[in-house]
Amino acid sequence: MRVPIEWLREYVDVTASPEALAHRLTMAGLEVEAVEHEEGEPVLNVKVTPNRGDCLSMVGVAREVAAIYNLPLRHPMPAARTAEPGEAAQVAKVEILDEDLCPRYAARVVRNVRIAPSPDWMQRRLLAAGMRPINNVVDVTNYVMLEMGQPLHAFDLDLLPNGHIVVRRAKPGEKITTLDGIERDLQPDMLMICDATHPVAVAGVMGGSETEVTPGTRNVLLESAHFNPTSIRRTSQRLQLSTEASYRFERVVDPSGVVAALDRACELLSQIGAGEPLSGVVDVYPRPASERIVTLRPERCNLLLGLNLDVPTMVDCLRRLQLKAELHDGVIHVTVPTFRPDLNIEEDLAEEVGRVYGYENIPERLPFGHTHRGGDSPNTRLIRPLQEAFVRAGLIEVHTHTLRAPGPLDDPHRTPVRVRNAASEELSTLRNSLIPSLVDVVVHNLARRQTEIFLFEVGAVFAQLPNGEYEETLKAGFALTGSVFPPGWDARYPAADFFSAKGVVQTLLEAVGVAEAEYQLLTDPRFHPGRSARVLAGGREAGIFGELHPDVLEQLDITRRTVLAGEFDVHTLWSLATRRVRYVPLPKYPAVLRDLSIITPEDVPYQTVERTVKQAGGTLLESVKLFDVYRGERIPEGTRSLALSLTFRSPERTLTDEEVDAVVAHIVRALEEIGARLRA
Amino acid sequence: MEERIRTLLEEATQAILSASNTAELETVEIRYLGRKGQVTELLRALPTLSPEERPRFGQLLNSVKAQLQTQIDQRRAELQRKEREQRLRAERVDITLPPRPLRVGLKHPLTQTMERVRAALIGLGFEFVDSPELDDYRYNFAALNYPDDHPAMDEQMSFYISDTRLLRTQTTSVQGRIMEKRKPPFRIAVIGRCFRNETVDATHHHTFHQVDAFMVDRGISMADLKGVLAAFARQMFGEDVQVRFRPDFFPFVEPGVDYAIYWQGGWLELGGAGLIHPNILRAHGIDPEEWTGFAFGLGIERIPMIQYQIDDLRLFLENDLRFLQKYGA
Repeated sequence: MRVPIEWLREYVDVTASPEALAHRLTMAGLEVEAVEHEEGEPVLNVKVTPNRGDCLSMVGVAREVAAIYNLPLRHPMPAARTAEPGEAAQVAKVEILDEDLCPRYAARVVRNVRIAPSPDWMQRRLLAAGMRPINNVVDVTNYVMLEMGQPLHAFDLDLLPNGHIVVRRAKPGEKITTLDGIERDLQPDMLMICDATHPVAVAGVMGGSETEVTPGTRNVLLESAHFNPTSIRRTSQRLQLSTEASYRFERVVDPSGVVAALDRACELLSQIGAGEPLSGVVDVYPRPASERIVTLRPERCNLLLGLNLDVPTMVDCLRRLQLKAELHDGVIHVTVPTFRPDLNIEEDLAEEVGRVYGYENIPERLPFGHTHRGGDSPNTRLIRPLQEAFVRAGLIEVHTHTLRAPGPLDDPHRTPVRVRNAASEELSTLRNSLIPSLVDVVVHNLARRQTEIFLFEVGAVFAQLPNGEYEETLKAGFALTGSVFPPGWDARYPAADFFSAKGVVQTLLEAVGVAEAEYQLLTDPRFHPGRSARVLAGGREAGIFGELHPDVLEQLDITRRTVLAGEFDVHTLWSLATRRVRYVPLPKYPAVLRDLSIITPEDVPYQTVERTVKQAGGTLLESVKLFDVYRGERIPEGTRSLALSLTFRSPERTLTDEEVDAVVAHIVRALEEIGARLRA
Repeated sequence: MEERIRTLLEEATQAILSASNTAELETVEIRYLGRKGQVTELLRALPTLSPEERPRFGQLLNSVKAQLQTQIDQRRAELQRKEREQRLRAERVDITLPPRPLRVGLKHPLTQTMERVRAALIGLGFEFVDSPELDDYRYNFAALNYPDDHPAMDEQMSFYISDTRLLRTQTTSVQGRIMEKRKPPFRIAVIGRCFRNETVDATHHHTFHQVDAFMVDRGISMADLKGVLAAFARQMFGEDVQVRFRPDFFPFVEPGVDYAIYWQGGWLELGGAGLIHPNILRAHGIDPEEWTGFAFGLGIERIPMIQYQIDDLRLFLENDLRFLQKYGA
C-alpha cells in the first residue's frame, strides 16, 4: 500500500525523516519496501502481511506509527455522527438475507448530487496513494477507503427501484455486468447486492454498471458493509476479479467502523459541495461483533520473548497500540478492539509487546539443556556416495525440473502423475524418470555449442500405482555425449560409447559395493536394441543404461551424435550391496602371469567366457583381464579372438610353472566346452 | 716395441679425447680395446717376445690398457652427460600451450550449498530427516495452522494432484509428520525441493529448494531462535555477518520473524522464523505450557545468489554447463 507521508501526518505528528520512519516501521513488522517520491512528496510503499488488514489504511498505518514513536493518534472523527435511521430510512431499505456472509450492511443517502471532478487536494492524495481520480462521488468513497480502510460503494439511487437493497446469494443463472464492462456468470454461493429483483453489485468486489454513478446522477445511495472474508476471497478468485475493495475485505475490515466511514464520506461530500446528505443511516447489524478479552501472563510473555520486562513496560507497549490493558491478579487483561481480529491468544499479545519494545532488543542465546546429536537424513546417506561416485567418474551434477510435459523418453513402465491445476503442458506431469530431463539438458547445451556433456542427477521421480496411490522413488541417472577424454590441442579421442557408460555404471556399483553384476540386453523403445543393458545383481534389476535409440534422438533433433543414458533405483542399488571392505594382507608371494588368446563364436558373450575361466581357474586364479578383442581376416568369419591376461598366485607359496600349466590346461578344456579354442 | 706402445697410447688418448659422442667413443674403444683392437693385438703378440722382455712389456701393455679404459669411462660419462643435456634441451616444450584437459566431475552449486547448510545445522545439533515432495494437503497447510482460504495461501499457490495431495510448497510440511511420531525434546531439519504455482521470472520459480529447522524443548524463546539463527548465519556467511530480526507473519509461528543479514551495504532477507504456534503443538498432543519451540526456514538458492551475486534464479535449473562449471566444489 502506498502511504503519502503528508497524508499520514494528518493523524500523527511524526517528524522523523521518511527513511528513518521506513526503517522503524519495517522493524516493527510493517515492511516498507521502498520510499518513493510523488511530485517531490515522499510516499512509503508498505507491504502489509495478510493478518494485518487493519493496516490497509492511513489511519491504520498512523496507529502503528503512533505506537512506535509513542505519539497521540488523531482519528478523522466526523463532526456529525449518525446512529438514528432519520430521513434515510424513508428513501432506502436494506434487507440482509444471508447474515453469515454479510453481518452488517449500512447505507446513507445523498441528495442533489452534482457530479464534477473532486478538488485538487483530494485528487493529489488519491494519485499519490496510487488511485486514479474519477469524479467527486467516487473519489470520496475511495478517499475514505484509503483513509479508514472501509471500502464504500456509491449507487445511483434513482436506478434502484424503491431504494430497496437486498443482500443475498446469487440465484442459478444470474448474471451481472460489472463496472469494468464485463458480463459475469454468477455462481449460487456468491454474495450479491441486489435490488428487488436482480444483482446490482458483486458484494465487496465490484459494483454493477447498471447502477453506476454517472454525470447524470442526482441521488446517491452510499453502501458501507462488513462481509465474510472467505466468501469475498472465493468470489474474487472465481471471477478472477481482484479490487482494492476485495483485497481489504479478504483481510478483514473492522465491523465497528462501518457507519463512521459513511459519516466521514457524507462529511467530505458536503464539504466539497458534491451533494447534500440526508440525516440518518440505515444500519442492519443483526449480530454485532463484541470486543474480546485476551490475557497475558507477564512471566509467559518474558519466557516467549526471552526478555525480562516489568509489567508497566508490557502494559505501556499494549496501550500504545490503542489496546486497553489492565492488570488484575498479576495477569494483564487486554480488551481487543474489533479492528484487531488477529489478536486472539496470549502469544499474539506477546508478539505485540515484542514488536513495540523492539525485536532488536531481544538478546541472542544458544539453547541449552538436552544434548542433541545431529546427523544427515537416511536418504542423504544413500545419495551422497552416489553423487561422489559420479563426480569421480568425471560427471557434472544437474538439478532438473520435476514438472514437465510427457515425452518420448518417459519411463514406459510407470504411469505418470498428472498435475490437476497445471497452467501449461510444460508443467502438466511429474517426471517418472530422470532420463528425459537429463536429455533435455543435453539438448540445451548442444544448442549452446557445448560438445562435452557428461551429466548426472540424483532425485525423486513419481508414478501413479494401479491402486491409485502415488509413488515417490529416488533415482540416480546420467547422460553422456562427447569424447572419452576432453579434446585438447594435440589429440583426438574416440566418442563415448556404450562401454564408456558401462564404466560409469561400474563406478556406481563399486561405490555402493555391488560386487557381481550381470548385464542383459534391454528391450526398451527408448534405447538402441543392441547397445543397452539391464543391470542385475542377486537376480534383481538395479537399473538400465545404454545408447539412446536413434529414432528418439531424431525426434529431439540430435543427429550425428551418440547419446548414452542410464537410470538406477537408489534404494534397490543399496539393497544389492554385498561387498564389505575388509583388510586383506598384501600378497607375500610373486604372481605368475599367463596370456591366453582364444577364438570364440560371436554369440558366446564375454561374460560366459570370463565366468568359465574363473570357475576352472579355482583359487589359484587371482584375476582375469581382457586386453584385446579382434575380428578380421586372420580368423574365421563369425568368430572373434579374445586375448586374456591371467594372474595366478597362492597366498602360501611361490607357484611352480608346472602347477600353473596344469590350471591353464584345465581352463582351456573348460573353454573348449563352450565352443572356444586356443588361437594358434 | 716400447716406442710403438707409447705412440699407440698417444694415438688412442687423442682419439678418446676427440670422440665427440658416445657412438664414436664406442668405435674408438673397439679399435683399441676390442677383441681385435690394437692393444689386444699387442697383448696377443706377447708370447712372440723373448722371455726377458715379456714381463716388462706385459706390465706396460696392461697399464696402458687400464689407463685407456679409465680414460674411455671418464670420457663416456662426460659424453653421456652432454648427450642427455642435449636431449633434454631438444625435448623442451612450449610450456605456455594450454593443458591437456581432464574430465572433472562437479556437484551442482545447490548441492554444494545444501552440504554446507547441513554441516552448519548438524553442528548445532539438528537431525535431518526425509520428507516427501508429493505431500498431503494436511501436512502442507492444515497441520501448519492455515485456516481454509486464508489470504496467506495466496503466496502459496500450489500444484495439486488430487483433493488431498499436492507438491509441497514448503519444507515446513515436515513438522506435522515429525510431531505425530516423536515427543519433545527434538531438533529436526529437512532440506529439499518445493513447488509453487507461480510465473517464472528472475526472482520467482515454480521449483526451488528450502531448508527448514525446528526445535521443541523446555523454555525455548525468541532469544534462542535469535541465537541459533545468528550462529547459523555466521557459519554460512562468515563470523562478522550481522543478523537482523523483525516481526513478520506466518500462520505456523507466533510471534513470527523475518530475518536478514547485512551484506554488501544492505539488508538481505533470508527467510521466515518464529516460535511454533501453540495450536500446532496442541494438535499433536504437546502441551505448550510445558514445551515451546521455534522454527525457521530459508531458500537454498538465496545463499549462492548472495555469495556469488547471481541475479537470476532460473540459472539453477537451466543447467547450462558454462554456469555449472563456474562453481567447482
